[in-house]
Amino acid sequence: MKTILASLAVAVETGKRNDAKNLTQSLVDKGMAPLDIVEQGLVPGMSAIGNKFKKNEVFVPEMLIAARAMKECMILLEPLLAKAGIKPKHTVVIGTVQGDLHDIGKNLVSMMLKGANFGVIDLGANVDPSKFAAAAKEHGASLIALSALLTTTMPAMKTTVDAIRASDMAKLKIMIGGAPISQEYADQIGADGYSADAASAVDLALSLVGETH
Amino acid sequence: MGLHDHPDKLRAAIQSALDTLEEERATETILLAYGLCGNGLIGVRAGRCQLVLPRAHDCISVFLGSPASHEAVLKADPGTYFYSPGWIRGRRVPGPDREAYLRACYAPRYPDDPEVVDDLIEADREIFAQHGCAAYVDLTNDSAAESYCQDCARHLGWKYRRLPGDPTLLRDLLTGPWDAARFLVVPPGHAVAQSPGGALLAASAT
Ligand code: B12
Repeated sequence: MKTILASLAVAVETGKRNDAKNLTQSLVDKGMAPLDIVEQGLVPGMSAIGNKFKKNEVFVPEMLIAARAMKECMILLEPLLAKAGIKPKHTVVIGTVQGDLHDIGKNLVSMMLKGANFGVIDLGANVDPSKFAAAAKEHGASLIALSALLTTTMPAMKTTVDAIRASDMAKLKIMIGGAPISQEYADQIGADGYSADAASAVDLALSLVGETH
Repeated sequence: MGLHDHPDKLRAAIQSALDTLEEERATETILLAYGLCGNGLIGVRAGRCQLVLPRAHDCISVFLGSPASHEAVLKADPGTYFYSPGWIRGRRVPGPDREAYLRACYAPRYPDDPEVVDDLIEADREIFAQHGCAAYVDLTNDSAAESYCQDCARHLGWKYRRLPGDPTLLRDLLTGPWDAARFLVVPPGHAVAQSPGGALLAASAT
């Protein structure tokens, strides 16, 4: 199974979604626990391509096809995770702030969070500031995650944090990210945490909801 | 042009160009007609000379004359994709020639995997899926570039819009004086830093 897991990671990394799906299915058939498949096959593949992107070794479409491969495997695994009684313990509401259409990074973060067994409510891109608190309330979320990729939309991130803090969901933890964002900016606008990539976003989310890894 | 997509590479390239310019003893001030450019300018250091930058998000703010007019366009329609003559020149903008550009770029990377190349091209199309408006910005009167932008809009089924360029910011950068509201002057030995408020840019001593 180790070698199948390793091939699965490579298939995700290189965006071969059919191979990835087949390998996932064969691990399921061999009786491997779905969460182990996610954590030991899909997530390492996605982290590998993420690191290459950071080092400018691959382009955005290469990230996208990897993400799509992982997504298709997740579609296969999600019903099994549910059947296995693995209910997400925490729910996070995620979205890209108003005016901003960049959603690739946000999608990766939400996939990795799913991989770590968070329930994820994805509001998409260009999201109205008032929608976050409303969705969090509706779904009983314990965390809100905001993404922004443009310096022109960073102010919308502040507006959104302000809107959440002014709502009856004011105590929710808020984490933020995106290429122009920094810890300093998070402190400045009163967000509870920042992280630079999807892998560390999972650690951050876990610590914000009070779980340690 | 690929530097645009990689702020880290852009930063390194600008720094090395600055270092070369500073070797010329007569140089005192270096004007950078860039804005934050996805933070590609953050961390760029002035050595012996002073640097002057417009407070702008990127070249689009410069073409439109101010970051405020840039923000207003995106606020009114976030699905706006900006085209300028220089950006069009690479023939890599979304439009009729992008696929050929991408094939030339990916085929050598995946010589024995044409399927992946097709997948990458499809993924690229998806990247632009939420856009719906091609906005042409120009400070000259480049009718060839403008009509190319119209072709792109037609090809993609997007709206076409011409935005009036405003050369004031660029002109004032070239002539000075540089008022602090619109320009950042980075003294020798300082670096460009981010200022997330309205000022966009700051100078830091480190
Ligand atoms: C792909 C891309 C696009 C695509 C977006 C497609 C899509 N569906 O997302 C397209 C081509 C459509 C696009 C459009 C535009 N773009 Co663009 N784009 C990029 C590019 C090249 C890559 C972004 C990306 O997807 N990276 C890959 C992902 C995986 O990385 P990431 O988003 O940073 O996410 C990671 C982390 O940041 C973090 N993270 C992200 N979100 C979150 C959230 C949380 C909670 C946490 C914890 C972490 C986290 O984890 C992620 C995974 O590791 C960047 C340059 C760059 N290298 O950043 C420019 C860039 C962001 N774009 C830029 C510009 C200018 C634009 C346009 C205005 C261009 C135009 N001509 O009109 C439009 C704006 C449209 C709009 N209103 O949003 C500029 C921004 C400059 C600025 N002013 O800030 C950049 C920096 C390029 C540049 N140097 O000029 N763009």
